[in-house]
Amino acid sequence: MQFFKKIKDVLSTLGERESSLTDEELVEQFVKTGDHEAYYEIWQRHGGYVYNLAYRITSDHHSAEEVSQEVMMQLIQKLDTFKGQSKFSSWLYRVTANASYSFLRQRKKYEKEVGLESYAPYDDNGTLMGKIMPKAWSDRPDSFLFGKESMEIIERAIGELPDSYRVVFVLRDVEGFTNVEVAETLEISVPAVKTRLHRARLALRDKISDYFMEWDKEKK
Amino acid sequence: MSVMCREVVENIIGYIESELDGETLRDLEAHLHECPECLEFVNTYKKMLEMAGKLRERSFVSPEVREKLKKVLQSKLKSSSHLET
Ligand SMILES: [Zn+2]
Repeated sequence: MQFFKKIKDVLSTLGERESSLTDEELVEQFVKTGDHEAYYEIWQRHGGYVYNLAYRITSDHHSAEEVSQEVMMQLIQKLDTFKGQSKFSSWLYRVTANASYSFLRQRKKYEKEVGLESYAPYDDNGTLMGKIMPKAWSDRPDSFLFGKESMEIIERAIGELPDSYRVVFVLRDVEGFTNVEVAETLEISVPAVKTRLHRARLALRDKISDYFMEWDKEKK
Repeated sequence: MSVMCREVVENIIGYIESELDGETLRDLEAHLHECPECLEFVNTYKKMLEMAGKLRERSFVSPEVREKLKKVLQSKLKSSSHLET
């Protein structure tokens, strides 16, 4: 029953032990020896990020929890497929993004989803006349734009984007993935990434403008 | 007006990433000078991207979630026969 003894040891030190090993060294240790402590530490370091990314992509705490558990499981099974060609954290974040995207697809929400393919702020004549200025907000101070309320507004607006657009926007503009990285992670083409990103940003800019206007009205 | 608002909107990514050719860029900037709507569109678009970048610093992990995931991790490792050494 060496196994159970080992588990007991691990549990008793959980949250206290912190090694000076790099992520990559911990992964190697876990893969080679099945060292649970190494796995715990990997999760302690990155579990929060996994959850946060899953939350941003799914826009739902329940889903984020499910995705995190899925990633946790995948890691136990697949950690030996990490070849060390990239930083472990980048690899993990891609695994997480992929799991979040699969999760959304399994829910089949896509089928009901309203696409944004032809979303545009201009009218049939190709003009914006009168649509943008009444909701202008670009001259607001940074203290407002980067304050708590504004951050909540943009989060809410992102949450309202259709899933397939939100995932691209989050990976590209929040997480800072490149177009190629987004394409590889989601297994879609780079042109598809660009198209979705473009429409997602247009829709989001409009939503934020509406929310700021509403917010102003409520404050008055 | 040689450039319409539509061109500004559809070229916005190329514009902010400085990937437009000289002529397109000149036309577009000329339009921005005379169209306050487009100028505000471009400015808010840029601000939105700045705001989005800041979201990365926000964490949504509550102590409850952290605790729950820790418990799940414990049970997953326990039940993982893969790891029995
Ligand atoms: Zn214009």
